[in-house]
Formats: sequence, C-alpha cells, structure tokens
Amino acid sequence: MEVKTFKDGGAHVPHYKSFTEDKPITRMDAPEEVIIPLSQHLGAPNEPLVKVGDKVEVGQKIGEVDEFISAPVHASISGTVTAIEPRPAYTGGEIMSIVIKNDGGPQEFVSKEKRDPDKMTIEELREAIRDAGIVGMGGAAFPTHANISVKKPVEYLVLNGAECEPFLTCDHRQMLERPYELVEGARILMRTIESKKCRIGIEENKPDAIAAVAEKARGYDGIEVVPLAVKYPQGNKDQLIEATTGKYSIRGVRSADVGCLVRNVGTTIACYDAVVHGKPSMERVVTVSGPTVPRCGNYIIKIGTKIGHVLKECGVDDLDGYKVVLGGPMTGMAVSDLESGVVKGTTGILVLPPDMVREEVAYSSCVRCGKCVDHCPMLLYPNQLSIYAEAEMYDELMEWDVMDCMECGICSYICPAQRPIVHLIRMVKPTIRKMQRAAAGK
Amino acid sequence: MDNQKLVFTPAPHLKDDLTVNQAMRDVIIALIPVSLVAVYFFKFYAVFMIAVCMVTAAITELVFRKVMKKESSLGDYSALLTGLLVALCFPATAKWWMGALATFIAVGIAKESMGGLGWNRFNPALFGRVAVIVLAPIIMLIGTNFLLVPANFGAVDVVTRATPLAMLKQGMEMPSIIKLFVAYPGGAMSEVSPLALLLGAAYLFYRGHIKWHIPVSILATVAVLALVTGQNPLYHLFTGGMFLGAFFMATDWVTCPITSKGRLIFGVAIGVLIIIFRVGLAPTEGVAFSILIMNAFVPLIDRVTKRISYVDPRLRGAVAPGRERATAKS
Repeated sequence: MEVKTFKDGGAHVPHYKSFTEDKPITRMDAPEEVIIPLSQHLGAPNEPLVKVGDKVEVGQKIGEVDEFISAPVHASISGTVTAIEPRPAYTGGEIMSIVIKNDGGPQEFVSKEKRDPDKMTIEELREAIRDAGIVGMGGAAFPTHANISVKKPVEYLVLNGAECEPFLTCDHRQMLERPYELVEGARILMRTIESKKCRIGIEENKPDAIAAVAEKARGYDGIEVVPLAVKYPQGNKDQLIEATTGKYSIRGVRSADVGCLVRNVGTTIACYDAVVHGKPSMERVVTVSGPTVPRCGNYIIKIGTKIGHVLKECGVDDLDGYKVVLGGPMTGMAVSDLESGVVKGTTGILVLPPDMVREEVAYSSCVRCGKCVDHCPMLLYPNQLSIYAEAEMYDELMEWDVMDCMECGICSYICPAQRPIVHLIRMVKPTIRKMQRAAAGK
Repeated sequence: MDNQKLVFTPAPHLKDDLTVNQAMRDVIIALIPVSLVAVYFFKFYAVFMIAVCMVTAAITELVFRKVMKKESSLGDYSALLTGLLVALCFPATAKWWMGALATFIAVGIAKESMGGLGWNRFNPALFGRVAVIVLAPIIMLIGTNFLLVPANFGAVDVVTRATPLAMLKQGMEMPSIIKLFVAYPGGAMSEVSPLALLLGAAYLFYRGHIKWHIPVSILATVAVLALVTGQNPLYHLFTGGMFLGAFFMATDWVTCPITSKGRLIFGVAIGVLIIIFRVGLAPTEGVAFSILIMNAFVPLIDRVTKRISYVDPRLRGAVAPGRERATAKS
C-alpha cells in the first residue's frame, strides 16, 4: 500500500512506544472513589442530576444541560454521591465535580439491549451518541454529536489512527483489538454525515493495526485504510486531511465544509458502543507509560479515577523531580495535582523521569537558524512570532498569522536556543482573540 | 505519594538534543582540518595568530558583556568561533595586532554592540576582517609610530609568494588544480586547503547545521559566470576565500535569510558579486565584501520571500473548496 503524508514541515520525534505497544488492554480495578467533573468537554457545563446521598448505578446519567454544544456525564462506578463541590482539575484550578464512593458492587457496565444501527434513523444515531456523552477522545473533547450534526453531506469521514504523539499506544491497541467495532463505528458515523467515503489514517509504525483494520474494512465499499508516514504531527487535523484525502484546510472554514469530518479512532469505537450497547462514556483506554513505570500498560480506567491512584496501581511511588503529563509529551499538560481525575479526553498518563524532564533553562535570543521555519507544518514563522510575543507586539503577531498556529510544539522541540516558542505563542492568543472580537464588534 | 516536587513546565515535554552551544562547537570542530593544514605550512605563525584572535575574542566578549551588565555567554562558543574565523581570514604572518583588532571589532562591535548573538546583521568575523582592511592606512600610521612589536618565530619560506588569486589576475603561470584543491600555501590561512574546508563542511552537513542551498548556489553561480567570462571555473572555486565564504561564512545562521528560497537568492547574489569583484575590481577580499553586502539585504530578501500560512485561502488558489466563504468572511 502506498504510504501517504503531508508535504510541509513536520519532524521525526522519538517514539518511546515500545513500553506499551505490545501490552494488551486490561481493566484497572474500580477505585474507592471517583471524582467526575461536570464539564469534560468544550462547551456549556452540565448541571448535576443527582444530589448528595443519592445512590447511583454504573452508567447512570448524573449531569446534563440543555445546550447543543455539551455532552452529559455519567457515573463510572456504582455507589453513593458523597459530594458535589469544586475539586482540582488537571488544567489547574478547580472544577465543579460529583464525587461518588464505591459501594463494592459490580462495577462493569452491562448492556441492556443490543441495537442494530442499520435499523436506526440518523436522528436516533445522533441522539444515542449525544445521550452517551461521547466527546473527542483524542484529547480535543469536542462533543461528537455536535460534530456530526451537519447540514449537508460530507464527502469524507477521516478517522485518526495516526497516534503521532510519542509514548501513546491506546489508539494502537484499540485498533488492533477492536477492529470490528472500529469499522462498524465508522459506518455509523458515515451514515450520520451521509458520507460515502471513509479514510482511516494509521502511521506505518503500527503494521499490525493497519492489517487488522484493513481486514475488517475489506467487505465495505468506500472504507479504506491509509498507511501514513511516521512524522509528527501526522495526527493533527489539517495534516491528516491532506495526507488521507489530498484536501486542504482553510482558515475560518470548518473541515466539514472542506469535505472532511475528522474523528479519532477511539471516539469511533466509543460511538459504536454507545449506539449498539447504549454504553455511555464512563471509562476509557489510557496509556500509562514512562521509562521508570513498573507496570506500564494500556488500561481501561473509570472516568474520575484520581491520577495518583492510577500511578499507584502501576507501581509508581517516588515522584520527586519527575514530571507527570496528561496526554502526549508534545501537546499534553503537566499536572501539578495528582488528586485530579482521568477525564474523557485523557489519552495517556506519562511519568517522565528527571533525566528526561527538560529543566526550565534560561533561553537565549533567536539565532535565526531557521529550524522552526523549516519544520512548522502550518508554514508560519515561529521565530518571528516568539520575538513578537515576548515584546507583546500584537499587530505584528496578527500580521504574521499567529492564530493559525495549532500548537503542535515542534518549534519548541527543535529550537537550539531553547526558546519556549509555542508557550510564548499560547500566552498571547487570549489577548489577540479579545482584540479580534473587539474589532469584529465594531 | 509525595507530589510536592513534581516538575511543572509547559508543553512540549520533549526536547531535541541540539543546542546553540553544540552547533557552535561543531563549527569549531569543522575548522580543525584547515587549521591543521595552516599550522603545517606556517608553523608557529599560525598557532600564534589563532591563539591571539581566540584570546582576544574571549576577553572582548567578557568585557563587553560586563560593561553592558549581561551574563557571560562565553559558554556558547560563539566568541571563540568568531576569533578562530577571524584568524583564518588573515595570512599567518600578518601583524598580530591586526588580528587582535579585527577580532575586537568582530566580537565587540559587530556582535555584542548589536545586541549579542542573534541580533547582529553582519557576519562578525568578516566585518572585523574588512574593517581592518578599510582602516589599514590609519592603523599603519599609528602602527609605524607606536606599535611595532612583530612576532618572530623564524623564517617561513612561503610568505612572500603571491597568492594564487593574484597570480590568476596577473596572468601568471598557475599551480595545478589538484595542488590548489588539496593544499597550496598562499594568502590567508583558510585559503591553504579547500579540501580541508570541504571535510569540515561535510561534517556540518552531516550534523545538519548547514543546508546545501547557500554553498551550492554560490559555487554554481561563480562557476557558471567564470565559464561565461571565459575563465577556468576551478581556479575561481579553489582560490581565495571561496570555500570558507560559501560553507562557513555565508551559511552563518544569524546573518543569512531564513527560508530555503531566500537562501538560494542570497547565494546567487553573492556569486554574482564575487565575480564582479574578482573580474572587475580588486583581486582580494571579493568574497568577504560580497557576503557582507548581501548580509545587508537579508531583511529585504526575507520580506520578499515571505511564505503564506498553510490555511491562508490564497495558498491553495481557486481550487480550494469553500474559498468563497472564507474570503467573504475576512
């Protein structure tokens, strides 16, 4: 099969996937307590549907709001609601959360009925996905039902199995172990957006997953596995669309209007479970990895399980001088509080030992080596942007298209002067957004 | 679990190994072969000149940063590299204080006074070298009166020979191409062996510090123009500061254009200027002047070659679907 990729920029980043790529998905025991944030998605926060003292069942809906761009949350364990109060969020600060204490009962979700998606209407499919609280599980956490509610048919459904972030293998293992559900999930999503063509992009460092998914897709017209070159950020929406369909994203145009709808493979499998089994988004596969983690693996973890608990289960005890990252090491967030819980968008929990942790070094002036310019997949000038960002020169930042940066982090990764380029860019974006809104309002 | 000492820094959490310090050190390493050839031919004259320039560079940088109340940046090797480059631009038997003065101007004025590494517009080493040439008459005036302290390490028989480039200009009989390429003493220390420079350049390519655009465009332009003007291109390529200029000076990160396209334009322009200097004007320092002149044009080249964003509707032309909507919005 022909290997595809995107043309401009990108870089080879070490994989570090060998820690977990061969570890089958296993279930982590339900913890004593889960802390379920009422908002785990982009959009309106949910209102609690339960109160303190209530008994809840596994999979019971416990938070919802009547807004289009939102996704309900569900109890991930059965037990008693012990608190509804602000709790630490991994993004920093606190977020209104429902705390459930484990009652020791059975903690696995049991499907009540098996539905045939082919006999359901598009409306019913969308409603099932919404009701299950499915959000983008690649990390973006945008409510999926909002994504698939399109006004006109979309040419391509693009499934993101690139998993270009180092360390992460949760998508890899899911594609390998659940290819049937992935392909059936793809068919469900294709129906909801009335698409005839589906491209499943998988980086070629996962030949077993490519083979497994291609095997299941064989019988279906229009569903095609596209092997992708191993290049970061192959899994970014714009680069993935280019590599799999030859189309290009355009500023200010939704990808559906360019003819592509991109979904993560994990999300697609979750959609299948939601539609066929009525299973809500209450647990997910998380890669727990790092060179020093005794029991690395790909675990099914209940939403709301404390990060500290997960690490303890994996045999991690000493974290002095370590960095714990939620998500991949290129775009994920370092956590300051291990009391925060796993959410729907948590792809990985990484423990980076002191020798891998990049200390905050005094960075120097840009030496114009041009490496960030060579590697920027968005064809920007990260060097200029970082200088303007330091000086808070907002007009220049806008002139040099700072808002087109999707924060893949290659510039900071590659910069020999150690400049935290993408961080500097991230810091000025809110101000620019405000300025643009003000300008648009005039 | 003790979570009080978790490291908390922004993404990305991985970092490529390459640092500015390493890159600078690699360039110094890449200059070792040609330095050794120079030492072979010029003995202690070469050692002395290189030492003088590198020490001057270090002292100048220390003093300037102290005066400007900045942290010392000697650790980034850039000053030492500039010192070495300046030394290699001089004949080994040049007056030592000329090398020292050129280094002082290079590091103190062309680099540190401009804001330090990254903010200089002109290649510091070439700036220092050329400044001394321009200032030579005044320096000589002062020098003959106050500063005659010549170093003497015994006779070196090659010093009085005409440089190959001067021989070419004067129509003298030339040494063989092979000899010129491998090792032939004459002129500045860096001019003794294009082969040694090429070895160093190969190392820089291998380490990914330089790309082909600038050297190839300079050398190709010079070769083609030499042919057009009816001269043997190999004599032009293997003489003077051609290789040092094309591989080590024009490729200087700070003072060359930032995109590949810009770098090609930059290289071709330098090649054209070199031929104009060599064929029409003075036979020496054409490469240095050409690079410095083009250094001044870098901001303009960068502006003209500015690429547009990946998601800019203009980039994909009319074929991009949804374009009408995008432009209607903006």
